[in-house]
Amino acid sequence: MKKLLSILLCVLLVCGTFCTALADETKIVFCVNIQPQLPLEFWQSIADRYMAANPDVKVEIIGNPSSNVTLPEYEKNLLATDQFPDIMVMQNPADFVPSGALLPFEDGELDYLVDPEVGKIGGKQYVANYKKQIIGVFYNKDMFAANGIEVPNTWDELVAASDKLLAAGIQPFSLGLKDGWPQGQLANMFAGTDLLAKDPHWGAKRNANEVKFNNPDLVKGMQKYQTICTKYSGDNITGITYTQMLEQFFTGKAAMLPIGSWVNAEVAKGEQDFEVGWFPIPGDENANVVSVFVNEGLSIGAGTKYPEICKDFIHFFFTDKELYGEFLKSEQLFSTTKETVEYDMIPLRKNMEEQIASMQEVEGFESMTGDDAFLPGLKDYFTNKMTQNIAIGADVEAELDAFDAEWEIANEAIEDAQ
Amino acid sequence: MKHKKTHDILLAAPGYLIYTVFMIIPLGLCLFYSFTNWDGISKNYKMIGFKNFVRLFQDASFYNALKVTLIITVITVLIYNVLGVFLAVVLNRKNRACAFAKSAIFVPTVLSSVVVAFIWSYIMQKDGGIINTILGVFGIPPVDFYDTPMHTIAMISVIISWNGLGLFMVIYVATLNTIPQELMEAAEVDGANGVQRFFRITLPLMMPGITINSVLSMAGGLKQYDHVKVITGGGPGGATQTITLLSVEKAFGYNRRGYSSAIILVLFIMIVIVSVIQISITKKREVEY
Repeated sequence: MKKLLSILLCVLLVCGTFCTALADETKIVFCVNIQPQLPLEFWQSIADRYMAANPDVKVEIIGNPSSNVTLPEYEKNLLATDQFPDIMVMQNPADFVPSGALLPFEDGELDYLVDPEVGKIGGKQYVANYKKQIIGVFYNKDMFAANGIEVPNTWDELVAASDKLLAAGIQPFSLGLKDGWPQGQLANMFAGTDLLAKDPHWGAKRNANEVKFNNPDLVKGMQKYQTICTKYSGDNITGITYTQMLEQFFTGKAAMLPIGSWVNAEVAKGEQDFEVGWFPIPGDENANVVSVFVNEGLSIGAGTKYPEICKDFIHFFFTDKELYGEFLKSEQLFSTTKETVEYDMIPLRKNMEEQIASMQEVEGFESMTGDDAFLPGLKDYFTNKMTQNIAIGADVEAELDAFDAEWEIANEAIEDAQ
Repeated sequence: MKHKKTHDILLAAPGYLIYTVFMIIPLGLCLFYSFTNWDGISKNYKMIGFKNFVRLFQDASFYNALKVTLIITVITVLIYNVLGVFLAVVLNRKNRACAFAKSAIFVPTVLSSVVVAFIWSYIMQKDGGIINTILGVFGIPPVDFYDTPMHTIAMISVIISWNGLGLFMVIYVATLNTIPQELMEAAEVDGANGVQRFFRITLPLMMPGITINSVLSMAGGLKQYDHVKVITGGGPGGATQTITLLSVEKAFGYNRRGYSSAIILVLFIMIVIVSVIQISITKKREVEY
């Protein structure tokens, strides 16, 4: 009996020591955005490199478990169940800031970024923006040339080009509603050209209830969007997924693909048998406005026990040029750091950079940042409801009125919470 | 006696515990949150009385989701039960062909609903889908299953039924096997034909199975989420959104967990009311022998 008791005590002692050692370990949890171009292995490699440089720190990678659960949904679940990570990829801080879930960066802490001011909410920065993406129209250069079509510089020229393609039996645009979000990119482009180009901080005015979604500029933009969807995007827009959109364009079934610069990753594969070009969606007078997404980056959870380590990790991500270069290369992204980061860029990506150098940049409408950002829930409404309804022929003004009504509900919810 | 009572309580305790933790408490929380403005992530929230319910009954998207849910429920309940009874009666024979047919109908039941939905998404594609490829061979123009929300909802209902029919058929086959053979033989001797035997003997004696299946299929239809989520995501523009999809969207997309709880509570009450009515109707028709 004594022997047994002694063994038991020894086991407890060893377990206790082991558990104490585990408890003393500095562990941070990093919630990532797993995508085909940025698989779990890529994010794990970041963690591994950081742990190699900081042996006392353990970085655990977690990510949304299914493509049916978006990253923001997953993060909201984690927050609601007290499992909010220490560091996370953040796409819509405006949804999280009101609940005090994010730790603001101090002034000067993000000085290694080109624009540490972008996307501030209430004067505070909650996201270290790690990429810039632009949205515009990829086009089949060979198809354009074969049909004598020049790159359109105005809306009328775009319509004329589309008519010419239709007359030649070619589907002008590849668009689909089935996945919910891709069609929204085209709507963002028109909102940028017709609305935000005139007033880049229109979003803040909407949030202050000084303007309405149902206004002549946005009505005009959404009517153009509707024309493309209903007239020039085939007869099966509701049944087409994002993957099918890509397939339609890259196999030459459609001449234009209105989407984001992340598609450069597909162009880089070089599987298409034609040359791909790119142009921004043209306005009434010229094609001089480009919508830019700067809404995604790295944030720190307000409840973290190790804020300094989290900040160091984020600094490490941006300043390890090889690591950050690999990240940018995955989707042929635009860097956000002051220091130039070289990576293997395809010619089209370089051409895009040259084209946009002289253009007016406005934020992507649905993903405006900081004080311009949509109120919680409105981004979902814009992509999953409004742009889909307009794409299948709903009355534009009625849809914008409904969007305004939805704004009232979202605003009331915020006022209720205060 | 006292010892037996303690013994009984101990035996039932795990069941009660599981039911309480996974059913009673979440339901209580749902009821509580439905009277709050909780956004699902904040630590703080306020009690707002019946505001969520008032807004719910003014919300056009709720009525649309209710309509979609009811259409799916009606179609699936009819297919599960009418076709289920028919297949059970036709295939309730002891030969290899019937055994194979029963197995073939049952196989989709063991597949995950998400897998089934993905498979059918590909089958239904207008461009390159199997159905349209086969139609094309016969010179028939391709069918667009997504052309109108009603077509899509009808198609989804058929897919859901394909996925679950096997289970309902098996329950009906089991019910059929409880009917004494002597009754059938006696009716046959009395000159009753096949149709008369089915409506006068088989169907009334299958009522216990019909009660179970109708309640299960109705509740399943009202709770429909996964197939619709995969096939359309509720789109376009929420036109194929069910009540559960709407609830999840409001909770996680719009940060309105209190409102979402109100939606689920209304759904729960609907299921309870319909189930009680259904059970009371079918129970009355059950016969004893």
